[in-house]
Order: sequence, then structure tokens, then C-alpha cells
Amino acid sequence: MSGRSVSRRSQARARPVRGVHGRARGPVLRSIRPRRMLDLLRRVSEVLETVVDPEVAAWSVLIAYTAGEGLGFNRAFLLLAEEDRIRGWFGVGPRSRDEARELWADLRQRGILPLDRLREPDLEAVEAERRRHAATLAALSHDAVKGCGVWQRAFIGRSHHPNSCVRHWAAVLDSRELAVVPLMAGDQPWGVVLADNFVTHAPIYHDTLEAAETLAHYLRAALERTQLLLRFQEEKRRRMLAEHATALLDTARTLAHDLKNPLALAGGLAHEMMTAPPADREGFTRQLGIVTAAVTRAEQRVAELVAGLASRADGISLGPVEVGALTERVTNAFRPLATSRQVRLLCYHPGRPLMAAAAIPSLERCLENLLSNALEALGESGGEIQVAVREDSGWVRLTVADNGLPLPAPMRVDPFAGGITTRRGGSGLGLASVRTLAEAMGGRVEYDEGEPGWVRFTLFLRRWS
Amino acid sequence: MTASRLLFVDDEEGFLELYRAAFSRDGYAVETTATIEGARERLAQGGIDLVILDIRLGEVSGLALLREIKAKDSSLPVVLSTAYARYQDDFSSWLADAYVVKSSELGELRQAVRRCLGGSL
Repeated sequence: MSGRSVSRRSQARARPVRGVHGRARGPVLRSIRPRRMLDLLRRVSEVLETVVDPEVAAWSVLIAYTAGEGLGFNRAFLLLAEEDRIRGWFGVGPRSRDEARELWADLRQRGILPLDRLREPDLEAVEAERRRHAATLAALSHDAVKGCGVWQRAFIGRSHHPNSCVRHWAAVLDSRELAVVPLMAGDQPWGVVLADNFVTHAPIYHDTLEAAETLAHYLRAALERTQLLLRFQEEKRRRMLAEHATALLDTARTLAHDLKNPLALAGGLAHEMMTAPPADREGFTRQLGIVTAAVTRAEQRVAELVAGLASRADGISLGPVEVGALTERVTNAFRPLATSRQVRLLCYHPGRPLMAAAAIPSLERCLENLLSNALEALGESGGEIQVAVREDSGWVRLTVADNGLPLPAPMRVDPFAGGITTRRGGSGLGLASVRTLAEAMGGRVEYDEGEPGWVRFTLFLRRWS
Repeated sequence: MTASRLLFVDDEEGFLELYRAAFSRDGYAVETTATIEGARERLAQGGIDLVILDIRLGEVSGLALLREIKAKDSSLPVVLSTAYARYQDDFSSWLADAYVVKSSELGELRQAVRRCLGGSL
């Protein structure tokens, strides 16, 4: 952000704009070479095409106003009209001469060209800029926008301008020459961009003003588009909330039927059996069977509910996954790498399908991480990795064991905590990810070195019923 | 005096077993059916004093049967019994003479039955 972009050569053949109410007449005044200006407009329009946040759009354009390789203003502000009021909305640039010297020196020292940062805006920096100018923006806000409607083109405003808005802005900014770039919606003001050179007092040239006008129109288009997009996103969010509420009601109905029913039945029948036990053994057994079946059904539903809620919380949709086939497929993908490292890779799974409640991509990622971890532990010296899928009452167990290096002591406390950098665990984030994914699928992962010489990780997944 | 004849309609055999045991002991004549078709057939024969109807009968709504019953004989009392209290908000359920949320405690259902039968067995 610098206001020193005018070369001596261009100054020699350019004259500042003289007008107070409107544009200066006379010879064409140029401070920016046409090619550079076109390049600036192209860069900004390309950036605005992808911007989805109104504040980022405002920041991008105002940076183009103030960058040394842009229009070179010292500072710039966007004000937006709201009914009979015009409100300061966003600002860019230093707030004082001291701040300007400090800021520009810092940019020079760090070799930062602000325009280069447009492609990857730092949202925190955008927010910080908005907060930094909050007081000035509030002061720039003005209630009387009457008279603004006659502005059709950009002009230079001074402290004695006939319009009260301009006088107010010039006074607030203590500006000798203020570029006022109006944005109109029919005969009503839509907004205005203000820019000046309050530190350098560099003159404002005709073509700079024209470029400022073009950029302001880009900004308006981008703001309207992003605001439309925000409204669309808000609508979408509301629709999703409504759908979510409907889905919750459906879930409540289903739960009432599938969970409350068996519990009411079990409790009611148990109470009845206590009050008036069936005279015959057959009747007693039948009623006890009904109670048992109802409790089992409720238990299954609770388990499904827990798994479903866990998966929803993590955005994972669980379904039946045949763990044996998936394990064999993923393991086979690692075979070439294992062979090249002289690692024997064995995979055991029962011939019959073992269905678990899981999400295929999550389960694949878990297994890939565990296999990578095992291969890393074996290094280049070779060894053996055993992958096994087994049934364990209500669970499907997927085990990956290797006879490589044991876990380093710091990792043994909680190998899934992540953040511990060791040779075996790498960043440790792979194992942390396994735990996160396993829990998201309603399962868990465990580690043990129970068998001497072997390190074993076991993934427990709920059986799909 | 003849005992009042109750017809329980519920797709869950366990509940029918419970109702048979509990309400027979209370002195009612209890009949049960798990389907809407079974209920229609039994009601066509006559002699039922009160219907206790589950709303969710598998994929079918008991509210449809409620409308049928009331269209044919508005004096035949019907108690709706369901696990889901929000069905009360459905205006279709307002035709029923009583609405009971299923519970392991049958006291509320017993009271509703007595009330609908005017206090008689």
C-alpha cells in the first residue's frame, strides 16, 4: 500500500484533475501507463471472479486502489448506502502518517507487493483491517445522502464542496483532495469509494480516477454477486435445517416405535408376570421369551443409534461393509511396496462375509495408515506384517501386526495421541487419524505388544446387524 | 352381567400377549388381532364394545382404520395406543375417544378403557 507510483516522466506530461464537482476538462492526463492499468484491471477482475466473501471482495479492490503497483492511493474506503444513510463498510491503508511510514517501510523491507497477495487473501488479515478502520468507518457514516444522487462520475472533493456528505468525509479524513467514486443504482446512491493521498499529497490524475471508477464498478458487481451467493447459502442453510428438523421428527417416531415399544412391552409384561404369574410353565416361558426378545431388540436399536449418532457427528455415513474383502483389496495394494522392501505381507480373513458398520473410505484410510505404519517400522531390513480379520461377538476385529521395531517409549503411553515425532510413528498423526476415524464409525482401536517381538494394532468395528 | 368385549389391534404379538393377560385378569373379554384386515373382519361380526388401536401397524396407519370405524359406527369407542405422543397433533387422531402413550405401566390404558366404557367392565 503506497501512494508513490507516479514517475517523474509521467508527472511531466500529466496534470492533476482540477474539478471540484466533476471531472476536469482539457487535455488527457495520464499517470498510469495504459498497459499497466489494463493489467491491474485484469488481475483484479480475475480475483473477484472467485471471491465468495463480500469483505474479501472489498479488501481486494481497495488493495488495488492503494498498492504502489496499483492505483497508488494512500488509503481507500468503501461506504454503502442504506435507505437514507450511507455507512462506512471497509477500509484499507494506514490511519496516520506515522503508521504509513511504518507500514510502507515494513512492506519494502519484506519485499511484499500487496497485489501479489490478492490471489490468496488472508482472511484474518482482512478481518484485522476491518477492525483497524472501524472507528474511521463509523465516523465516515452519514445520515444525509440527499444530493448524492446527482453524481454520475468520479470527482475530486475538497473541504468546501457544496454537498454535505463530501464536506463531512473530507473533514473526517482531514483530506485536502478526496477521490469520490460514486456507485449509483438508478438515481439512488448504492455506495461510494473514497480514496486520498493524505500522507504523500500526490496529485490525483484523470486516468487514475477513471481506473478507480472501473475498479469500483467491479467491486459493486462482486459485492452484489457475493451477497446473492450469501443469500442463496442462507436459503440453503434454512432448507437444510428444515429438512434436518423433519428428519429428526422421523427419527423420533422411529425411535418411539422401535425403542420405546420393546421397553414398554418388556416392562409391562414383566410387571404382569410379577403380579399374576402364569399358572403353567409353558405360559411363563413364553412370556419370559417375549420380555427377553423385547430387551434384545431395544439393545440392538440403542447400539445402532449410538453408531448412527457418532457417524453423523463426524459427517460419516455408516453402512454395511464386508471387512474381509476390503482388507484383502487394500492389503494387495501394498504388496508391491512390501515386496520391494523384503517384507512378507500376510492376510487372513474368514471365507464367509463379515459385515461391519463402517464407511468404506474411512475404513480404507485406517487400514492404509496401519499398513504404512507397519512398513515404516520394518524399514529396509524386511520382516513380516500379518493382517487378520476376525469375528468377536458383537465386533469385527481387524488386526495389523508387524515384527519390526517396537514403539518408542514416549508413544507407548498413548500411540494415538498424535504430535509425537518418531521414526516409527512418523508425525504420529496417522495413528491419531486411525483413532478419530474408528471412533467416528462407532468403533475403537487398540495397541498391544503382548506377543514378544510383535507390535499389534487392532481395529474394532461394530458388526452390522 | 356380561363382560365388556375389547378388541386390541397391534402388529406386535408381544403386546397382544400382554393385553390378553392383563385385561383378562381385569375381567374383560379380550380379543386380539395383528392386522387391519383381521380387525375389519372381527368388527363386521359385531359384539365389540371397545377397540384399542395401535397407530403404527407395520407400514399401515391405524388412523385409517379409526376413520373407517367411526364412519360406520360413531358410537363404538376407540382408544388410540401408540409409542409416539406427537401423533396427538395429527387431527386424524382427534376422532378417537382416548389417546394413550404406550408404557410399561398399564394404569393409564386401564383408566382410558374404563372411562370409554362408562365405568363398566
